[in-house]
Amino acid sequence: MKQWRRLAVYCITGRDWTQEAETGEVPTLLTRRRFVQLGAMSSASLVLGHGAAQMAPPAPPPDFTLEIAPYLLEASPKHRFQTVAYNGQVPGPLLRMKQGREVTVEVRNKSADAEVVHWHGLYLPPAVDGAMEVGTPMIAPGETTRLTFTPEPAGFRWFHTHTIAGNDLKKAQYGGQHGFLMIEAVSNDGSELTQYDREIFLALHDWGGRMMPSADGSAMPIYDVATINGKMLGYGEPLQVKQGERVMLHVLNSSPTEVHWIALPGHTFHVLALDGNAVPQPRAVEMLRLAPAERVSAVVRMNAPGVWVLGEVQRHVQAMGMGIVVEYAGATGAAKWVQPPDLVWDYAQFAAPADAAAKADQVVEIPLVFDSKFEGHGNEERWTINGRSFPDAEAPLLRTGTRYRLAMKNLSTNDHPIHLHRHTFEVTNVGGVSMRGLRKDVVLIPAKASSAVEFTANHPGNTLFHCHQQDHMDRGFMMVLRYA
Amino acid sequence: MGGLAILFAVLTFPARAQGNYEIQVYGADTVEPKSLMVELHSNFTPEGQKNLIDGIYPTNHQEHETLELTEGLTSWSEVGFYVFTSEQAGHGVQWVGDHIRPRVRVPDSWHWPVGVSLSTEVGYQRAVYSPDTWTWELRPIVDKTVGRWYFAVNPALERTWHGPDVNQGIGFAPGATFTYDVTKQVNLGLEYYADYCRITSPCGLHDQQQQIFAVTNLNVSPKWEINIGVGVGPTAATDHLIVKGILGRHFDWGRHSAVD
Repeated sequence: MKQWRRLAVYCITGRDWTQEAETGEVPTLLTRRRFVQLGAMSSASLVLGHGAAQMAPPAPPPDFTLEIAPYLLEASPKHRFQTVAYNGQVPGPLLRMKQGREVTVEVRNKSADAEVVHWHGLYLPPAVDGAMEVGTPMIAPGETTRLTFTPEPAGFRWFHTHTIAGNDLKKAQYGGQHGFLMIEAVSNDGSELTQYDREIFLALHDWGGRMMPSADGSAMPIYDVATINGKMLGYGEPLQVKQGERVMLHVLNSSPTEVHWIALPGHTFHVLALDGNAVPQPRAVEMLRLAPAERVSAVVRMNAPGVWVLGEVQRHVQAMGMGIVVEYAGATGAAKWVQPPDLVWDYAQFAAPADAAAKADQVVEIPLVFDSKFEGHGNEERWTINGRSFPDAEAPLLRTGTRYRLAMKNLSTNDHPIHLHRHTFEVTNVGGVSMRGLRKDVVLIPAKASSAVEFTANHPGNTLFHCHQQDHMDRGFMMVLRYA
Repeated sequence: MGGLAILFAVLTFPARAQGNYEIQVYGADTVEPKSLMVELHSNFTPEGQKNLIDGIYPTNHQEHETLELTEGLTSWSEVGFYVFTSEQAGHGVQWVGDHIRPRVRVPDSWHWPVGVSLSTEVGYQRAVYSPDTWTWELRPIVDKTVGRWYFAVNPALERTWHGPDVNQGIGFAPGATFTYDVTKQVNLGLEYYADYCRITSPCGLHDQQQQIFAVTNLNVSPKWEINIGVGVGPTAATDHLIVKGILGRHFDWGRHSAVD
């Protein structure tokens, strides 16, 4: 409870609450929706401040500009979606930043709602991380703000809206606000991640969602259309490749709720990085699995000339449009798809064996139990962590430099893509399978099983932890980790 | 979709229909393709018609067992088949008749705010159990789930093809239900069944059939449906007390691959 008073102080004053004395008392409990309102006020006040300083020399141009505005997505001539996008495109622009080099991003909000941009996978202070729950000011409709930060760590990241959709399955992550972010390493270390002839970025997304009752006694989203880079299969530009090329695919699942499986018949994916971080054991696999917000960087050696479909392995999802044509130079004919018989994926194959690294001397365990509360067959359930929903969830206290283990027990019948802001964690157990060395910021926790991740608390500031399924986070599946 | 079918099968299903052989209000969803719903309807009449009238067996203390098999055809259609039986002192177990019931529904992709489907049912029943031996029914179905509440209405139209009521024209026999999810497993509600005779000139209250059931639906498993109810009939033309139960099991057949 006290934590929310502090956040309110931050949102209203625009100052880091950690610098506030323990005196700022705000008499009301703040909900996530209230944060939006306060954030918008905060953003507006910041802009007013800029206006008052008109006599100051003009600010230098920003390194990057993001304009958030309404956009009509044409997934196919028969499938159009009125949404909100970055810079008039879905996915948004690919931003390339240099690791450790400060950048300024100007964000103009020309949409009808308060917005916030989350820089997913970066170690940023709460004020710019892009989560109102930890104090990032919202950008009011019609307002412009500038964010200055130093991007770390290097790797394939992304940026996206971090707002509430509630019952409107066109808003927040259901819409089109997502873009690729590549943080380029300071120096080329010669790793496989830098050895390729062509680099291609792909974003998987689902559109036209609506809530439907499910067999397990709750409502869940289902979709009409699924796209790669905003286009249904057959309606986007083919990926043009040449025989013998090493093509680096950076694949992002920006879906609000759905896990996706991707295959390219006749080819294998040599997986080098997960969530932008090099894996201990690169492996060639027949297909990729990506939970919401996960990324995979994999090299595909183009050694099977022809015209192919790179698409969703699940038949019904590919039928909804999730696919893109891969066309070799000089090849003609209809795109070919060969249906894999099963869905195959295992985090452990990319990790080091569980005993390959010495365990940390001291790891403080934070037990977390995920469950849901039934709200009627026509409602989504309410999600809980240790029996409480956000914003009432407890806030574990972290000490800088200490290593923590999030020991997660998932009692629900759903898998959950859990995400830790502002940190990279090491996956140490998924559904009872121990592993080491897999560094990620999202991991899919299987239903009815226990899993664990470990991280070192080395980025002081409030840190959000949540399920990356939009409907789950909107229904309470969040908590804030606080630094002492 | 399978979950949906099961859910609504548990919550509801067909209305009064075949003279207390199958007592259900239909939900709008259909059984998913490559799957079969097997239901056993058990209805007992502790207090019903005690006299033999025009050669029709009295309903008092009749035990009706109805087997219903519903096969999903597509994501928006199904076909159901019924076998009706009756057991009564002095008559033993008797086959009563059979019905077939195709049904279509509005696909999910139409994004209608309510569930809507339409079933048509054709069948035969022996004259000793029903004077109208060949009948036809057209049943529109509308339903909606709002939070813990569920509503369904079945304004069914009936037509006799062979029997004393063949000249009656179109009869109106609506059914409706509303239920509430007390917990994830336990659902309580009311079901209403009626027969107003001819739709163009309803009969008087004395001759109308009116039944109200207090019911519980138990959601113990997505594969099972359990419905239990006790109904009263306040009009002279209605059996005064009926106890009903439905036990259903969902079966998948064919190969369901993970990639499907």
